[in-house]
Amino acid sequence: MDFDVITHGIVAGSLYALVAVSFNILFRPTNVFNFAQGELVMLGAMIFASLTSLAGLPWLVAFAATLVAVGIIGLIEERIAVAPILARSQTGTGWVITTLATSLIISNLVGRFWGPDPILVKPPAPLSMDALEIGSARISSYEIALVLITLILVAVVERAYRTLRGKAVMAVAEDREAALLRGIDPGSLGRWSFFLGAAFAAMTGVLAAPILYASTSLGPDLLLKGFAAAAVGSIGNNRGALVAGYVIGVTEAIGASLLSPGYQEAVIFVVVLAILLLKPEGLFGSPNARTV
Amino acid sequence: MSRAAIPFAVQAAALGAALALPAFVGVNSYALFVATQLGIYVIAAIGLNLLAGYAGQVSLGHAAFVAIGAYSVALLTVDHHWSFWAAALVAMVLAAGLGVLAALPAFRLNTWYFAFITLAFALVFEKMIVEWRWLTKGFAGVVGVPPPSAFGFEFGPRPLYYTVVIVTVIAFVLVRNVVHSRFGRAFVAVRDVEPAALAVGASPQRTKLVAFVISAALAGLAGAFFAVQKTVVTPDDFTADFSIFFLLTVVLGGLGTLWGPVIGALVFFLIPELLADLQSWRMLIYGCLLLGLMLYAPHGLYGALRQAWRRFTPSAPRTIDPAASSEAREHPPIAGLALEISGLRKQFGGVQALDGVDLAVPAGSCCAIVGPNGSGKTTLLNLASGYYVPDAGSVKIGNVEALGSAAQRIAARGVGRTFQTPRLIADLTALDNVMLGAYIRERSGLLSTALRLPSARAEARRLRQEALGFLQFVGVAERAHVEAGETPHGQQRLIEIARAMMGGARLILLDEPAAGLSMSELERLEQLIIRICGLGATIVIVEHHLDLVAKVAGHVTVLDRGKVLAAGDPAAVFNDERVMRAYMGERALKSGVPA
Repeated sequence: MDFDVITHGIVAGSLYALVAVSFNILFRPTNVFNFAQGELVMLGAMIFASLTSLAGLPWLVAFAATLVAVGIIGLIEERIAVAPILARSQTGTGWVITTLATSLIISNLVGRFWGPDPILVKPPAPLSMDALEIGSARISSYEIALVLITLILVAVVERAYRTLRGKAVMAVAEDREAALLRGIDPGSLGRWSFFLGAAFAAMTGVLAAPILYASTSLGPDLLLKGFAAAAVGSIGNNRGALVAGYVIGVTEAIGASLLSPGYQEAVIFVVVLAILLLKPEGLFGSPNARTV
Repeated sequence: MSRAAIPFAVQAAALGAALALPAFVGVNSYALFVATQLGIYVIAAIGLNLLAGYAGQVSLGHAAFVAIGAYSVALLTVDHHWSFWAAALVAMVLAAGLGVLAALPAFRLNTWYFAFITLAFALVFEKMIVEWRWLTKGFAGVVGVPPPSAFGFEFGPRPLYYTVVIVTVIAFVLVRNVVHSRFGRAFVAVRDVEPAALAVGASPQRTKLVAFVISAALAGLAGAFFAVQKTVVTPDDFTADFSIFFLLTVVLGGLGTLWGPVIGALVFFLIPELLADLQSWRMLIYGCLLLGLMLYAPHGLYGALRQAWRRFTPSAPRTIDPAASSEAREHPPIAGLALEISGLRKQFGGVQALDGVDLAVPAGSCCAIVGPNGSGKTTLLNLASGYYVPDAGSVKIGNVEALGSAAQRIAARGVGRTFQTPRLIADLTALDNVMLGAYIRERSGLLSTALRLPSARAEARRLRQEALGFLQFVGVAERAHVEAGETPHGQQRLIEIARAMMGGARLILLDEPAAGLSMSELERLEQLIIRICGLGATIVIVEHHLDLVAKVAGHVTVLDRGKVLAAGDPAAVFNDERVMRAYMGERALKSGVPA
C-alpha cells in the first residue's frame, strides 16, 4: 500500500480529532451533544474565507474575528435552543431536535448567503499546500503544520481541564447539583462551554479550509466523522479523540484506496459500529457508574 | 396519557371522511393520489412517533427505512416477479433487520448515540443506493413497479387507496394497544426515568429494541406502498430532507400522543401546497418550525388542542371503581426472601464508600440501616439491587448469589425498591405507575397485547384491579387517575411502595421513605411498613428518622464511613456510645445531650 494513504489519513484524522475535541468541550459541563457542531465548523471556514479572500484582512485578525463571531453564534444557540430545553428537563433529549433544527437553520442561511461554490483559502504566509517529497510520501508544509498544531491544541485543552475552572467543568459534568452546592454556577459554565466549543469548532473550520475548501458541504461530513472520533475515543476524552481521529482518518483512506471512494462513509460506519459493539464506551473509557 | 381527549365522534368522522373521499374525486385525480400518499406517510409517522415520542429514541434517518421497504418491493416485484404482499412482508423484515443491525450498539448507550447512528445510517444508505448500481440501478432507479393484485384482480388507484386506509387504521389501532399495555408503560419509563424501568425489571435495551423494531417495520411497510403508488423508486426520493420531514411531521402533530402523527401529516400536507412558491426556503422553514415547536409546543398541535379542550370541558372528578373501593381486600401473605451480604466493598475514586460490610437479614424480618450522611447506606442498597457493581464481596438473595446480575434481573427475582427521591413516571397516572410494577409478572406477549386477544385483556383487567387494590393498601386510592407528577411528594413515596409490591416483591428495599413526609403521612408509613412486614415480606429500610426505625425495625445496623459500627436490637444500638459519638460528635456526648 502507498505510504501516501497513511499520511492522508493522519491529516484528515487530525481534523476529525479537532471536531471531536470541540464536541467534548461543549459536552463536558452540559451533557449536550451539539448536532449543529458540523455547521459551526463550516461557518468558521466560510467567515474566515470571506474575511481573508474577499475583505482582504490579515490572517491573524481574520482568525480572531472568526472565532469570536462563531463563538457568539454558539452562545446564541445555547440561549435559544438549549437552555430552555434543559430548564424543562435535565434528562430529556429534546435538545437533539433543537440543535438539529439549529443546524438546519445555519446551513440553509449560509447556503443563501454564500451560495454553493467552494471558496479557495490559502494557508498563512510561510506555509503552502505545495506537496513536498519526504521519502515516499507526498505531504505539504501546511499539512505537517496542521498535524503538529492538532497535537499542541489537544495538549493545551487537556491542560486547561487541570486548572480550577477546568475542574469545575468536570464537577458539573459529574454531578450538576453537587457542583451547584459547592458554589459553581452550571449555567455560566454552560454558556462558556458553548462559546468556547463553538469557537474551537470555528478554529477547526479555519484550519480545514486550505485542505478541504470552504463550502456548505463541510458541515454534515465533519459532524458525522467528528462524532465517530468522539464516540470511538470515548466521549469527553480528548487524547482518546486524537487517537480515534487517526484511526478513522486512516481507515477511511485505506477503505477509499482499496474499494471505490464511494464506500468511504460505509467503511467508517461499519468500523465504528463494530468498535462500539465491542466497547460501547469507546476505546479509552470506563463504564460510568449509574447514579440513583 | 389522556385517552378520551379526542372524542369518539371526531375519530369516527375522520375515518368516515377518509372512506368516503373516493366517492367525491375522480379515479385518476390528484386528490386521490395525494390522499393515498398521506396515508403512506401516516403509517411511517405512527412508527416514528412510537419510537421518538414514547420510547424517547429520536431517529434522524427514518427515510432510510422507508427506502429499504420501497426498494425491496420494487426489486422483488419488477426483477423477480414476486407478489406485492410477499414482497411487502420482506420489506418490513428487511427494514427492521437492517435497522437493528445498525442500531444495536446504540441501545446500550445514551439516546443521542441512537440519533447519530440513524443519521449516519441514512447517509451511508443513500450513498450505497447509488453505489450498488448492479442491484438498485443507480440514479435511474427502478421503473414500472406493478400495482398489487389479489385473486387475479389488479388494484387501481381506488382499491389501493382503500388498502392504504385500512392498513393505516390497523397500524394505528395496533400501536394504540401497545402503548396502553405494559410495553407502552415500559417505553415511557425508559424514556423518562430509567432507574424506575430497572426497578420493575424492564430491560432498557430490550425495551428500546422492541420500539425500534415496530417502528422500522412500519417504515418498511410504508415504503412498500410508496413503491407501488409512485411506480418509480429513485435515490432522490430518500434524501436526508425526507427524514427531517418525518421528524417534523411527528413533532408538529405532537410527540408521544397517539393522534399526533395523523394530525401532523394532515397539516403538513397542506403546507407544501401553500408554500409552493417558497420551495427553496423549505428546509429553513422546517428548521425554524422544529425549533419553535420544541420550545413552545413540545406536545405539538395535539397538545394544544387537548389543552383547549380541557379548558372548555372541566373534567369531572373520576370516581373509583366501587368494587375496588368498597371491598377492603386482605392481601395474601408474601413469602419473604432473606438477604445476606458479606465482605462488600465499593470504592468511588478515592472514596471507600463501603469497606467490608456484612449484613444478614432473615426472611420476613424488618431490618434498618442507619448512619450519618455519606456512611454508605444508599450505596449498600444500590449494590444489593444491582445498580452498582461492587469491587468485592457477596450478595445472596434467598440463598442465591446475586452479584454481577443486572438490576432488572435482580428485580425479576422478587426484589422491589424505592428511591431516595421518588422515581415515578410523571406523565403516567398513579394507577399506571403501579401497573408498571407488574411488568415482569405480566405474561401476555407483544403480539397478543397488540391484537388485544381475550387472554391479554383479561390479564390486563385483573392486574388493573390488583393495582387499585395496592393503591388502596398504601392509602392513595383516591389519586389513582391523577398523573403522578401532580401528586404530592409524600403520596409519591407511597405509590412507589405500591409499585414495588405490585411487582410481587418479596424483599423490599426502602431508601429513606420518611424523608419529607408530614407527621400524619409518617404515621401512615409506619403502619404500612408494619403491615407489609406482617404479610411476611422482608424489608430493609435506610432511614434517618430514628423514631420510625425504633418502631418498625427488629434489627438495626449502624454504618459509619463504610464500616459497620454496631448492629443488633434497636434499643441497645441506640444507647451504644460509639453510635452516639458518630451521630452527635464527641463534645455533645460529653456535655450530656440526651439521645
